Amino acid sequence: MRPSTIRYFLKEGFSGLRKNLLMTVASIIAVAACISIMSFSYCVVSNLQYMMDQMEDSIGISVFLEGDVTSEEIESLKTQISQIEHVTNVTYVSPADSLDKLKDEWGADEDIFIGLDDENNPLSHSFQIELDQIESQDAVLTALHNIEGINEDNVEYGQSVSELLVKISNVFQIAGIIVMLILGVISVMIIVNTIRISVVNRRVEINIMKYVGATDWFIRWPFIIEGIIIGLIGAIIPSLLGLPLYAKTVSLFYNYVPFVANFIRFRLTGDVFSFVLPAALLFGILLGVVGSVTSIRKHLQV
Amino acid sequence: MIRLQNVTKVYPNGSRGVEGLNLHIKKGDFVFIVGSSGSGKSTLIKLLLKELDPTSGEIIINRVKTNDLSRKQIPYLRRNLGVVFQDFRLLPNKTVYENVAFAMRVIEAPSRIIRRNVPAVLSLVGLGQKGRSYPNQLSGGEQQRTALARAIVNNPPILICDEPTGNLDPETAWGIMQLLDDINKRGTTIVMATHARDIVDAMQKRVVTLNKGHIIRDIEKGGYDDEA
Repeated sequence: MRPSTIRYFLKEGFSGLRKNLLMTVASIIAVAACISIMSFSYCVVSNLQYMMDQMEDSIGISVFLEGDVTSEEIESLKTQISQIEHVTNVTYVSPADSLDKLKDEWGADEDIFIGLDDENNPLSHSFQIELDQIESQDAVLTALHNIEGINEDNVEYGQSVSELLVKISNVFQIAGIIVMLILGVISVMIIVNTIRISVVNRRVEINIMKYVGATDWFIRWPFIIEGIIIGLIGAIIPSLLGLPLYAKTVSLFYNYVPFVANFIRFRLTGDVFSFVLPAALLFGILLGVVGSVTSIRKHLQV
Repeated sequence: MIRLQNVTKVYPNGSRGVEGLNLHIKKGDFVFIVGSSGSGKSTLIKLLLKELDPTSGEIIINRVKTNDLSRKQIPYLRRNLGVVFQDFRLLPNKTVYENVAFAMRVIEAPSRIIRRNVPAVLSLVGLGQKGRSYPNQLSGGEQQRTALARAIVNNPPILICDEPTGNLDPETAWGIMQLLDDINKRGTTIVMATHARDIVDAMQKRVVTLNKGHIIRDIEKGGYDDEA
């Protein structure tokens, strides 16, 4: 393609936007609104996923062993547990370790543990089991109960919490994806409509172009450029507004509800927007191309 | 240059545009296609431009069988065909110069060649001084000259004119005809659909008469009503 041809396409593309200025501005705003909501949905969904991952790291299953156990028995049980599917890590915790941990947690009130030491320790031998994902919990529990020496009474896990979390997170994620899909389609329709008006305004021109031997792509390019410009500006606006807004929201959350920060962390602004920014721009460009190619198709049939 | 073999066009509503046309136009010919409204003139022009496809029969233009061309190839066929319409079809928001340059831009001619050829063609059609004017500042004849300049600027071997004098007064029309004759003398094959009796009679060129979709007369050198 010649540089002069590219210049011609750009000139025609921009002039098309200028001639329908009102429509151009309206569709940029509409596309920006759609992309804003899509980005917002993404923030919610990706943060939920992030929090789920954190939960999965912290939620595990504890198995407590009754009475005295020999080190051979401990090794054998550990091997058996490790072999269960979905189990990523098994840690043996001796009664002494448990006591130390308790003392640490109580800190200044350590005094209440006076009289308890390695010789006189009421705590049990236990295993901390980590899973690959919360959803596997049921399967792992069943498998644990089948191991000799372990029964339901000495297994502990965060049943209600984990199930609820999975459900909530799934609902939000599905809703978020549906919202993104619907808005994607709406954005395409908005751009199609704007470009269509531009195409109708220039159908005489298109007609003449066809008669003097213009290829379909030569006719399409100016309209594709129009579409891309609408899509790009429509994507840049929400990205630039969204970035500081997200950072601010997260910091407000941490400031006003500080205890939340103890068990929930939001994704870092940089992490979120290093995806949102290029994704929005790419989506904007894609919108422009799909929208303009769709709207011009009918008018090329000469 | 142009050959039609047993060409029939039936429209989707069942009406027949042309039926069993056989026509051979040689390089450098100047051919009038005459006939009353509904005789099939427009259908024939549209078939030549591949705006329509024949229902049956073959159309060969510049050694290419146009029936077989894919959508992608049509633009390249049309670059062999200059077209002039009754209603000029100029772009009102572009100057005369830009209207003509547009045709070269579309086939991606280099800017250097555009700057060289457009003024040359404009002076050929007698509009050397009108390059900066807009179509609405021109007379009908000047507008048609602009359209003509646009049609020939890419130097097509064939020029197809659909009632080019239909919207012009006789004197202006005559100026256009002289211009077409000049273009023809430079080697361009011209096919012109018209029902301007005076012009056809005066030019004494080949006349193909259509009636109800059939060729009823084809005279090598003659007038509108001459018998074969």
